[in-house]
Amino acid sequence: MRLIQWASLGLISLVAADSNLTLESRNILPSTFKPPQHFQNVNLVRNINLEKNYVRETVNVVIENVGKEAQSEYFLPFEPGTIARIGGLEARDKKDPEKGGFVAEVAVTDEQSSTQFYKITLPTPLQPKGQLTLSISYWTLASLNPLPAQIGQTDKQYVLYTFSAYAPSAYLTQKQKTKLKLPTTDVPDAVTLPKSLNTEGKEDPQKQGTSFTYGPYSEIEAGALQEVSVRYEFTKPLTHSKLLERDVEVSHWGGNVAFEERHWLTNRAASLKNHFSRVAYQQSAYYNPPMAALKELRFPLAIGSEDPYFIDDIGNVSTSRFRTNMREANLELKPRYPVFGGWNYSFRVGWNGDLSGYVRRLKTGSDGFVLKVPFLDGPKQVEGIEYERVVTRVILPEGAINVHFETTIPLISNTTSLHRTFMDTLGRTTLELTAINVVDELRDRELVVMYDYPFSARFRKPLTIFGGILLVFVVSWVVGNLDVSIGSKVKAA
Amino acid sequence: MAAISQGTGSKFFFEGESGRNTRGLLRLIILVTIAAAAVASRLFSVIRFESIIHEFDPWFNFRATKYLVNNGFYNFWDWFDDRTWHPLGRVTGGTLYPGLMVTSGIIYHVLRLLSMPIDIRNICVLLAPAFSGLTAFATYLLTSEMTTSPSAGLLAAAFMGITPGYISRSVAGSYDNEAIAIFLLVFTFYLWIKAVKEGSIMWAGFCALFYGYMVSAWGGYVFITNLLPLHAFVLICMGRFSPRLYVSYTTWYALGTLASMQVPFVGFLPVRSSDHMAALGVFGLLQLVGFTEWVRTQLPSKQFQTLLRGLVLVVFAAAFGFLVLLTVSGTIAPWSGRFYSLWDTAYAKVHIPIIASVSEHQPTAWPAFFFDLNMLIWLFPAGVYMCFRTLKDEHVFIVIYSVLASYFAGVMVRLMLTLTPIVCVAAAMALSNILDIFLVAEQPVEGAQPQANGNPRANGPTTATEKLASAIPDTLRSTKTPVVGIYSYLSKSAMTGAFTAYLLLFVLHCTWVTSNAYSSPSVVLASRLPDGSQHIIDDYREAYYWLRQNTHQTAKVMSWWDYGYQIGGMADRPTLVDNNTWNNTHIATVGKAMSSREEVSYPIMRQHEVDYVLIVFGGLLGYSGDDINKFLWMVRIAEGIWPDEVKERDFFTARGEYRVDEEATPTMKNSLMYKMSYYNYNALFPAGQAQDRVRGAKLPAQGPELSTLEEAFTSENWIIRIYKVKDLDNLGRSHQEAGAFEKGNKRKKSGKRRGARVLRVD
Repeated sequence: MRLIQWASLGLISLVAADSNLTLESRNILPSTFKPPQHFQNVNLVRNINLEKNYVRETVNVVIENVGKEAQSEYFLPFEPGTIARIGGLEARDKKDPEKGGFVAEVAVTDEQSSTQFYKITLPTPLQPKGQLTLSISYWTLASLNPLPAQIGQTDKQYVLYTFSAYAPSAYLTQKQKTKLKLPTTDVPDAVTLPKSLNTEGKEDPQKQGTSFTYGPYSEIEAGALQEVSVRYEFTKPLTHSKLLERDVEVSHWGGNVAFEERHWLTNRAASLKNHFSRVAYQQSAYYNPPMAALKELRFPLAIGSEDPYFIDDIGNVSTSRFRTNMREANLELKPRYPVFGGWNYSFRVGWNGDLSGYVRRLKTGSDGFVLKVPFLDGPKQVEGIEYERVVTRVILPEGAINVHFETTIPLISNTTSLHRTFMDTLGRTTLELTAINVVDELRDRELVVMYDYPFSARFRKPLTIFGGILLVFVVSWVVGNLDVSIGSKVKAA
Repeated sequence: MAAISQGTGSKFFFEGESGRNTRGLLRLIILVTIAAAAVASRLFSVIRFESIIHEFDPWFNFRATKYLVNNGFYNFWDWFDDRTWHPLGRVTGGTLYPGLMVTSGIIYHVLRLLSMPIDIRNICVLLAPAFSGLTAFATYLLTSEMTTSPSAGLLAAAFMGITPGYISRSVAGSYDNEAIAIFLLVFTFYLWIKAVKEGSIMWAGFCALFYGYMVSAWGGYVFITNLLPLHAFVLICMGRFSPRLYVSYTTWYALGTLASMQVPFVGFLPVRSSDHMAALGVFGLLQLVGFTEWVRTQLPSKQFQTLLRGLVLVVFAAAFGFLVLLTVSGTIAPWSGRFYSLWDTAYAKVHIPIIASVSEHQPTAWPAFFFDLNMLIWLFPAGVYMCFRTLKDEHVFIVIYSVLASYFAGVMVRLMLTLTPIVCVAAAMALSNILDIFLVAEQPVEGAQPQANGNPRANGPTTATEKLASAIPDTLRSTKTPVVGIYSYLSKSAMTGAFTAYLLLFVLHCTWVTSNAYSSPSVVLASRLPDGSQHIIDDYREAYYWLRQNTHQTAKVMSWWDYGYQIGGMADRPTLVDNNTWNNTHIATVGKAMSSREEVSYPIMRQHEVDYVLIVFGGLLGYSGDDINKFLWMVRIAEGIWPDEVKERDFFTARGEYRVDEEATPTMKNSLMYKMSYYNYNALFPAGQAQDRVRGAKLPAQGPELSTLEEAFTSENWIIRIYKVKDLDNLGRSHQEAGAFEKGNKRKKSGKRRGARVLRVD
């Protein structure tokens, strides 16, 4: 029942995911907005990594202030429709990576059709003529599309990636090039560009093993685009998580931290041309060819995790294995059926951890505690997994106050509420954090929650239960002593 | 010192006022322990598998409960379900017994209120075990009304707690009406006995209340509806009419009937259906008898005799004539088919194959009695015999109940369930009597003379004979004359030892039966790997979950009706037919689609907007409960409606064999079910080696071909196969033509090429 609720919640939030933009944006720009041309890109190198089923782009750019005043706002444009699929955007000073990331926010114009921006705010304004090397990295989700969109069950899958050979920029770019890192050398199609465009007079792309290079190009105007695409073999599942809900429940009485994750997965890979054939699937099991079907999920859990479970809407899934020893705790799950392209699979996994491994008492105050857990666990796949939306709930003990948190994952919302469950009177303090467009590479990022758990709150539950049982006894004693018989007077007489 | 204090201590604990308290406490502890044992013995399946709803009907009840919990009571009451019986739908709220769902719903909300948000599935799974604990308690109460021996009730409770006859329908996960109905049955009987004994309106009112609850929970309430009037009738016939009986029966009938009419599914049945007429008749009879009793006190006996004779004849003739008239005119519904099959076991097979096709409606095989009741079955007659010896009103009830329930249990496997409570009660009475005699009876002092002066009778029994007579209840004839041997420790210990051994064996048997026969969820199958570890075969859920996740929310699934509830519950997809077999024609339509040629089936499936067809095939694994083995029932049911189009004879070979191999009849080979079962199955084996492991048959070298369906999904062990119904051909051809064209295309071309060009000569 609860799962259905969750599922429907998930649907609602899926609908909401498309309008994530408005949720996230804090800067609404006028529709006629054009970034002021204070900067120019002196040199830009863009690396596009296509080895996983999501695209990671890293842009290293030397920017120069060509204006007359010190500037601190650098705009990064995205094509309409893509910005809602951009996740984990981080910008930092390449020369000084220790300094930490700069503030990067989405800045949208109020019209959906025009180009959208990320606004990067430099911590110290760049003086006129000053130069800075920015390193910007982000992931683009759901940008690989299988072509052909329907394949046979044991066929190879090819995916198409479309992008601009010129790095999108809001400023004039003097020199730039784009490098692609492909997972394979089997690339049947790559759009070639004429030699004339290239500064060195070579025909793009230049191939070298699995890496393709477009460029160098010089003097590219702001906003110039040159659409190209590559089609390469990628016979792996394009696992896409529509929603991940994650609960971390802290129990001081039980000395336990309970984790639960509810996944709604879908495989974006090419769908089956004919229907699923069990014969072909069973025959292929002997030589195990690469397949676009999701057959297994591996969860490397924290060492010492125990009591795992793997269930879905209709009960336990028996095809799971849990290997645990001193060095590892690996949960290996097999979905009930191989998830081919276009198929869905939703499930729940959960496990327990020892409280002492996650919670420390603060030295400053006797009631202060700090909890450190991964923001998400999720499966770790070779080909990667992308999450459209991750909702992590940290359920603290009843009566926990002064809740603060810290995480390096870009969040779009956080709320604190009360969650009423087993034998609660008030409800447990719950911190709900939402992030969008997350990939599995972020699964090591941590979430630190600090809270106070007063001594008095700890005894609320036993005292309530004691009081309740006492009440039952008193009531039954009173009721037992009531004399409601009609003939009692006759007896007395 | 210690001994003395212990002596006084035991005196304190076992005698007088505090002794009563101690015994009460002890009894409570024993009852709680029995209830715990009853619950624990039903948890095999939860421990071995998981907390899962079992079998078929429970899946519907579970789904209905979820609907109730999600949408509230009134929506549940008015629930029209358009996801079953497509395209007819089902007025679910008005055609179910809501007691079970409402009970779980109330438990769910009460627990919620106490801030115990327990999942509704767990409540449903554990409802039956919880109620079995209550049943044990109710049995204790019922038995305690029958006998003075305090141990009889406890023994009966223990028997009821663990006897397989009841466990078969109440293991954890078996979330069916019987789960709470047996408790209600026993408790209603207890309240009835209490009412008859005391003649109190209060007890009769409670009895009516629980009868109403029972009506809302299970169709088996008809058993109570007929048993209580029968009891009253027999009592009247025995000349035991009393104001107590009058008060309790009339109260029960009036209130109980009103209560039962509140359930929509029952509605006006209590005044319209033949099944309920006995209760009404006895109600009228009681009024007459009451009236004549009153008249008797007013008239001299001679006149009264004449009056009575005349009155009885007239009233009987009038009532009977009226009943016949009403039945003929159709005001009173005729007896239902299931009722007829209670009297004639061959009736269903001939007239209503759909009832006969259910295994639990078959007549009981005699070993089943021993299997389900073990040693109780031979203690049972002894207990009934004892009831004859002290034939009070309540003992008459036991006798009637035993006779009726024994008969019904013999007719239908499923009714073993109603027999079980009375067997437990009777057996406990017999056993407690034996134990009381052999444990309590003390050795009389031999040769003790009557005291010299004074009348021994005045001083109480002193002779050995009299002492014995007072010590031993007046039960067995052999104990009337003193046989000293019985009092020796040897005979006592032999007897008690033997019975202890029997009891232990009983427990052993019950545990074994429960563990091996009644604790399989049937949704999940278990097998053993060569290394002894358990391997779970989960094909049903694999396929249902596939349907749930990867088909459209409104995709209609056609399957045989057995799987209707499971598809509704687990796959959450609309079905054509399900286990609520209310529309025989619709089921026959599915049967016809399954047993006909594709050309016939395809239009039927199109008309019913079928998207997927689901079948169960056990050939690869050797799973015998598959659709090919059930196929003949489909044929028979379809033949009942379309005798010209579907003929059972065509599925048997000339020698009358039911075969699936090379020698199968053409009708069999061309039937949709056969084709779907064996489609593509050859490809798993080397050429010509395909084998069906259930039927031990070697299949034809050439596998069947399907043109109107395409395989959509097959589960890991091939138990479930799902086919998608093809859309109409784009070019307006039939699928057969289209298939032939695609295949024959090349042949034609090559033929053209090979053949020499010939000039056409006119």
